[in-house]
Amino acid sequence: MTTLFGFNGAPSSGWSQPVPIREDPLSGIPMSARRASLPRWPRASEPELVRHYTLLSQRNFGIDTGFYPLGSCTMKHNPRLNERIVQMPGIDRIHPLQPDHQVQGLLSIYYEMQEMLAICAGMDAVTLQPVAGAQGEFTAIRCIQEYHRSNDQAHRDKVIVPDSAHGTNPASASMCGYDIIEIPSGQDGRIDLEALKSAVGDDTAAMMITNPSTLGVFERDIAEAASIVHEAGGQMYYDGANFNAILGKTDPGRMGFDAVHYNLHKTFSQPHGGGGPGSGPIGVKSHLSEFLPSPLAARRERDENDPLGVDDGYWYFWEEPGSTIGKVQQWNGNAGAVVRAWAFYRRYGHELERMSEHAVLNANYLRHKITKPASIGNQAGAFTEGAPASVVKHEFTLNMTPLKEQNGVTAKDVAKRLLDYGYMAPTLYFPQIVPECLMFEPTETESKEVLDKFATDFLEILSEDADTLKTAPHTTFVKRVDEVLAARQLILKYPFE
Amino acid sequence: MSVSVHCPLMRRLQAPRPTDIIAGDSMDQLPNLGREQEMLLEMGLKSMDELFEDIPEDVRRVDPLPLRDPQSEEGILADAHRLLGANIHLDSRPSFLSAGLARNFVPSMVPMLATRGEFLTSYTPYQPEVSQGMLQAMWEFQTMISELVALPVANVSMYDASTAAAEAITCAVRVRSKRAEQPNTVYVSEKVPPHRMSVIRNYTQGVGIKLVQMPHTSSGLLDLEAASKAKGSCAVYVEQPNAFGIIDEGLMRLRGIIGDSTSLIVGVDAVSLGVLEAPGNWGADIVVGEGQPFGIGPTGGGPIYGIFACTKDYLRLMPGRIVGQSKDSDGEIAYTLTLSTREQHIRRHRATSNICSNETLIALMGAMHMALLGPEGLERLAMRTAAAAQETMEAVLGIDGVELLFPSTPIFREFAIRLPISSEAALERMDRHGVTGGFDLSRWWGAMNNALLIGCDERTSMDDIRKLSESLEKAIKEGSH
Repeated sequence: MTTLFGFNGAPSSGWSQPVPIREDPLSGIPMSARRASLPRWPRASEPELVRHYTLLSQRNFGIDTGFYPLGSCTMKHNPRLNERIVQMPGIDRIHPLQPDHQVQGLLSIYYEMQEMLAICAGMDAVTLQPVAGAQGEFTAIRCIQEYHRSNDQAHRDKVIVPDSAHGTNPASASMCGYDIIEIPSGQDGRIDLEALKSAVGDDTAAMMITNPSTLGVFERDIAEAASIVHEAGGQMYYDGANFNAILGKTDPGRMGFDAVHYNLHKTFSQPHGGGGPGSGPIGVKSHLSEFLPSPLAARRERDENDPLGVDDGYWYFWEEPGSTIGKVQQWNGNAGAVVRAWAFYRRYGHELERMSEHAVLNANYLRHKITKPASIGNQAGAFTEGAPASVVKHEFTLNMTPLKEQNGVTAKDVAKRLLDYGYMAPTLYFPQIVPECLMFEPTETESKEVLDKFATDFLEILSEDADTLKTAPHTTFVKRVDEVLAARQLILKYPFE
Repeated sequence: MSVSVHCPLMRRLQAPRPTDIIAGDSMDQLPNLGREQEMLLEMGLKSMDELFEDIPEDVRRVDPLPLRDPQSEEGILADAHRLLGANIHLDSRPSFLSAGLARNFVPSMVPMLATRGEFLTSYTPYQPEVSQGMLQAMWEFQTMISELVALPVANVSMYDASTAAAEAITCAVRVRSKRAEQPNTVYVSEKVPPHRMSVIRNYTQGVGIKLVQMPHTSSGLLDLEAASKAKGSCAVYVEQPNAFGIIDEGLMRLRGIIGDSTSLIVGVDAVSLGVLEAPGNWGADIVVGEGQPFGIGPTGGGPIYGIFACTKDYLRLMPGRIVGQSKDSDGEIAYTLTLSTREQHIRRHRATSNICSNETLIALMGAMHMALLGPEGLERLAMRTAAAAQETMEAVLGIDGVELLFPSTPIFREFAIRLPISSEAALERMDRHGVTGGFDLSRWWGAMNNALLIGCDERTSMDDIRKLSESLEKAIKEGSH
């Protein structure tokens, strides 16, 4: 497809000109600071660009175009109501430095979300400032770091992560200056308590772990793991990437965690938008709350002299926590994502656990449909399960090694072939502890029919001839893309010359 | 402890039971509602509870969540109108609050096309064969950012300008520290806004980076003589225009002052580059900034997106996602994410950054806006913004008692004035007149009690300027009490 840089119309094309305001607009700007030549941006009119971007969109796969079982990413439906709401000027045209009395509505939404998220995770205080899951991890580890420093425990310089953890966990802790101790998982993919016992010590700052694990299996020893870490003086951090599996059924607070991040772009349906924006609020127990980033939304009873505000009897305001770590994003986080998540939450209210029930129902159902026929059908032995478990939570993994040994077809080949059938590929080669791993997360917003059809198609693919798979995909916008060539030639922008 | 946000855990959030609920109405997001038994039966299970039996009893939640009742779409929309309608938004009155974000105009095409489901509901394009649309759009975005700042490499966005600045600093230290005479040391302008500084400190404090403040002269400009101390350090971070809106021409000579072995990182107002020379043309190694003026409203501070561009020397140690052009197995041009071995999902704790989710969709909006502007549209946008600032400055300087904080320095979007009364009082009074008069600089620097930062944009009208002047004059006349 042609690129934007093929558009080279008249200089007057494009944006309609604003009313000029003075004869000499640049009178205040010295010649020596002026730009010598303008950027080589396209010259195009709105009709040309609307078509360009519409055609581009048609070359992109989203939840709206098909089933998106991308494990660990919780690709659920994004309600359109939420998009409608964030177009309102009361959020789109709000500056984060406006005084409190001008933003009572937004503050009340922040407050409601802080409370709701605290309740859901069994935490005492929540900040909505971190703008991505990884930034939530970073923020929580920063709070834990300051907590240790304030208790003369600054010598604690190690963070423990299981080898099945998301890559962001060790990367985030490392950015705070911590050394990482990676502990191996047990045979069933769960925490190896013995390995944990030998890893903790006087130098343990924290353990970062998700539950259910990245294999989709609930860590039944989580409370014991928490006490091992706590007895050593460390803090427990919960990676909320898999929160969609347990909301309303249990919570990190009960499991013994001190801090948690939430992915509003997973659990609470903020659209992923091709890689972002996200929103990664964190919740903490009370001993960590004074370190949270600033500001938090707070409220008091409204008194007679206050303006009406949102007329709920309260006056809302921004407040700085006592020993705050300061800021991790320049403003108050991704307010637009918070408002979307608020609208999503309002739909479910105290019935949020239905969401988790259906996410788990769908995952177990799909797992059943895929693994059961395989054990009796002609595809027997193409894969094994990533982790043995009677039930999984929101996702499950398959180990495709047997298939590879039979005819050289890799997990990646299978993933690419799924694209031909109109599906997004599952997560590939993660977690790294499962060889030739495919990881499926159907979410609660897929119908039984979609899951049935997907299982049938998946099993059919496994019996296709090896060549078809190895050269897949065949019917997509482009054929298999050469990633090595991309890294070698490094054409990272349009070559104008 | 001063945190007053403790959550009363077992208390229902305040709402009374809404009247608009029809049973099941709120569950329209669950296609398998009512078919649970059918699905369970096929799995050989009897109840939903069996799906959660692996959660040990001692950590199981038995009580329902103490949250409000479900609401219908209609009910939520009504509440959104009520709550967000209680906010006073920037377009409802003359507004001169900028301080890092712009009250821009976003062409209608932008949100309408960027929220097409194919873009909106896609994930990071890990499968390039079905993600060519977003990949090409991001490759085009990289090209436009690269052209804007005159540097060859740009990523597909950071969270915002502050995290872009912070990660530029850690990136420069990775590249420079081994050979630097002042290893792990970075010089930062003392006039970087404190909230951005706070982000920078959080990102640098744990990895042993020493931040040294670079002084400014009494005229608000970077002290170039003192800046020579940065020679031999890993990096220098400055902003153009600076926090007071000043175009500091001296920065264009920094490269010669700090030498070639120290990285020059420049934070920019992206719109200003329609008239100001691109930092890549005066020696910047890395350029960062807020992309927000292109693509999206200020949105309460996010989602917005940070710009990150650099020379090829930084390419393999930079943060964020990068799209490269390649070919498919038929030899057709295709796009794909590249150089991902820098990233956390592969390199884990040795990654160049922890960034995973970024702001791609907002960058897409930015790309659409930039494409619609074109080169001349960008220039007109910048000129219109500069003209508004100049006109506003001349108008308020006509008010008795108002003077420039830094006289005879050129400005772009913003300028700082000194008032005969506190800026807090002035802003409160102007607010009562229905004017958002700017930003109280004492919120950033406590000693600057009477300093007001006034910001303009392409939409600032003569009428706005007149109302601001009248309001400010009136506020001052009320005296200092």
